[in-house]
Amino acid sequence: MRGTLLYVGQRTLLIAFTALAVSSIVFIGIHRLPGDAFVSERLRPSQQAALLHQYGLDRPLFVQYRDFMTNLVLHGDLGESIANRGVRITPLVLREATVSGEIGFAALVFTVGLGLLFGVTGAIRQNSWVDYALSATSVVGFSMPNFVIATFLLLLFGIWLENVTGGNFFYEIGWSGTYGNLGEILVPAFALGFPYASFVARLTRASMLEVIRQDYIRTARAKGLAEQVVIVRHALRNALIPVVTILGPLVVGIITGSVVIENIFGIPGLGKEFVQSILNRDYNIVIGVFTGYAAMIGLANLIVDLVYPLIDPRIRY
Amino acid sequence: MATSATTVDQLIAAPVARAQIGLWQDAWRRLRRNRLALVSAAYLIGLVVVALVGIVYTPYPYAHEGVGLPYMGPGAGHLLGTDQAGRDIFSRIMIGAQVSLIVGLATQAVVLAVGVPLGLMAGYFRGWIDTALSFVISVFYGIPDILVAMILIVLIGKPGLGTIIIAIAATRWMDMARLTRGQTLSLREREFVEASRSSGGRPAKILFGHVLPNALGPIIVQATLGIPAAILFEAFLSFLGLGVPSPTPSWGSMAADGIHAIRIAPHIVLAPAIGLSITLMAFNFLGDGLRDALDPRQRR
Repeated sequence: MRGTLLYVGQRTLLIAFTALAVSSIVFIGIHRLPGDAFVSERLRPSQQAALLHQYGLDRPLFVQYRDFMTNLVLHGDLGESIANRGVRITPLVLREATVSGEIGFAALVFTVGLGLLFGVTGAIRQNSWVDYALSATSVVGFSMPNFVIATFLLLLFGIWLENVTGGNFFYEIGWSGTYGNLGEILVPAFALGFPYASFVARLTRASMLEVIRQDYIRTARAKGLAEQVVIVRHALRNALIPVVTILGPLVVGIITGSVVIENIFGIPGLGKEFVQSILNRDYNIVIGVFTGYAAMIGLANLIVDLVYPLIDPRIRY
Repeated sequence: MATSATTVDQLIAAPVARAQIGLWQDAWRRLRRNRLALVSAAYLIGLVVVALVGIVYTPYPYAHEGVGLPYMGPGAGHLLGTDQAGRDIFSRIMIGAQVSLIVGLATQAVVLAVGVPLGLMAGYFRGWIDTALSFVISVFYGIPDILVAMILIVLIGKPGLGTIIIAIAATRWMDMARLTRGQTLSLREREFVEASRSSGGRPAKILFGHVLPNALGPIIVQATLGIPAAILFEAFLSFLGLGVPSPTPSWGSMAADGIHAIRIAPHIVLAPAIGLSITLMAFNFLGDGLRDALDPRQRR
C-alpha cells in the first residue's frame, strides 16, 4: 500500500512536470506572432497597440513567460481569452474537461464492453458465421474514420429514424448541458469508441484463442465447472492482460478522437474549444487546452496503470 | 529423387529441383494468391488513374460555383450531385483524390527520408545517438499526434499542402525510425555485416549496401500502412478546417461542408466519406497482404 502511494505521488509529480513543459513549449512557440487574434477585427494601429498593451503582449517575451508561469504555478491561472474578452480560461477549461471526460468515459465503456463481448463471442464460436460477422464488423470499424461513423449514426438516428428518436440524437443546435443524460451521450460515445472497440475485439479474440487451449482451462472443465465460469473467471481473466496493456494508448486515442467527435455533435468540450481557439488564433486558450490535455492524458495513463495490478496480480508497485 | 544412379558430379551439374527464386519473386507469388490484396491494388490503381485524369480533365471546373443548382442529388448531369455552392461533387472528388494521394505519398517520402537514416545510425552506432533518438521518440509518443500536428500547423502559419505534409510527417517519422533501428540492431550482428566490416567496408557502405537492403521488406510494409494513416490524418485536419485551404477540395473538408446540410442533402457528406473509407480499407488490405508476402513469419 505504501509502495502504491509512493508510486502515485511520483507519477503525479511527473504529470505536473509534463503539463508545465508542454505549456512552456506551446507558449514560447505561439507567441512569435502577438496580436494575431485581433486581425479579424480590422483595428486601427493605435487601437491594436492599446489592446496589445492591455493584455501585456507588448512586453518582452521573457517577462510574459515569467508572469504566465508564476500565475500558472502559484494560482493555477491560465489567463484570459483574447477573442472572447473577459473570459477566464482556467474555469472554462475545467468545465469543458468534465464534459469531455464524461463522453470519453462513456466511450471507454463502449470500447472495452463491446470489444470484450465481440472478442470473447468470436473466440468461443471460432469459425462460425457469428465469428465471421464479428470479424468483418471489426475490420470495417477499424478502417472507417470516426467522423464517417459519426456521420452515418447522425443520419440514421437523427434523420432517418427521427420519428422514433424524436430527433433526440441530433446535435445540430448544440449540447443542452444536461450532464448525465445518457441518451444524449450514447451516440457520440459510440462513434468515439467503436473503432477502438474493433481493435479490442481483435486483440481479445486472438488472446482468448490462445488461452482457451491451455492446460488449466482443461483442468477447470475437468473439475466440472460451468462453462460460463470457465470462460469468464479462468479464460477471460488471463486473456485480459494483453488488452489491459493497450488501454493506455486507447485512452489517448479516445481523447484525441474526441476533438473530431465533439465538433460533429456540437459538444462543448475541450476538443471543440481547441479547434475553435486555433481557428480564432486565441492563443491563450490554445495553451490552456493543450495543458489540460496533457494533464488529462497523464491522469488517464496513471489510472490505467493502477488498474493493471487488479487484473494481473503479478504486477506490483 | 535420383540418388543411386547419379554420381556426385552429375548431382552438382544438374539443376536443383526447384529453381532458386529471390525474395521479391517469392513475395510476388504469395501476394498473387491474396485476392483481397489484389482487389485493393486494382482499386488503388483505378484511384490513381482517376486522380491523374483529374489533372487534365474534370467534368466541370472543380472550384466553379453554380455549375448546377445547389444541393442537387446524384443524377445524369452531375454524377454525384452538387454541393451547397452548386459545385459538381464528382469533379471535386477527383481533385480530392489527388490531394489525398499526394499527402499520403509525400508524407511517407518524408518519413522514409527522416526515419530510415536516423534508425540506421541509431541501430548501427548505438551509443549517444541511440540514447538521444530513443529519448526523442519516447517524448513524441507521449503527446497525442493530432494535437502536435495542429499546433505545428499554427506555428508554421502558412496553410497549404506543404504545411500539412510536414505536420503529419512530424508525427509519423518515429514509427519508421523505431522499426529501422530494431532491424538494424539485429542485422548488425549478422555474419555478412561482420564480413563487410572486417574487409574494410565504410559504415555508409555497410549501412546502405548490406543492412538497408535486408531491412527493406518491413520498411516497405510500414510505409504502405503509413499511407492510409496519413490520408486519414489529412482528412481529420481538413474536416476541422485546418487542412488544405479552399477552394482546393479535400475529402475531409468536403465532408465537413456536407455535414451542415446533412438533413436536406446527405449525399454531399456521403460521397467523400464513403470514398475515404474504401480508400483507407484498400490501403490497409494491401499493406496487410504485403506484410504476409514479404515477411511471412510475422503473419498473425
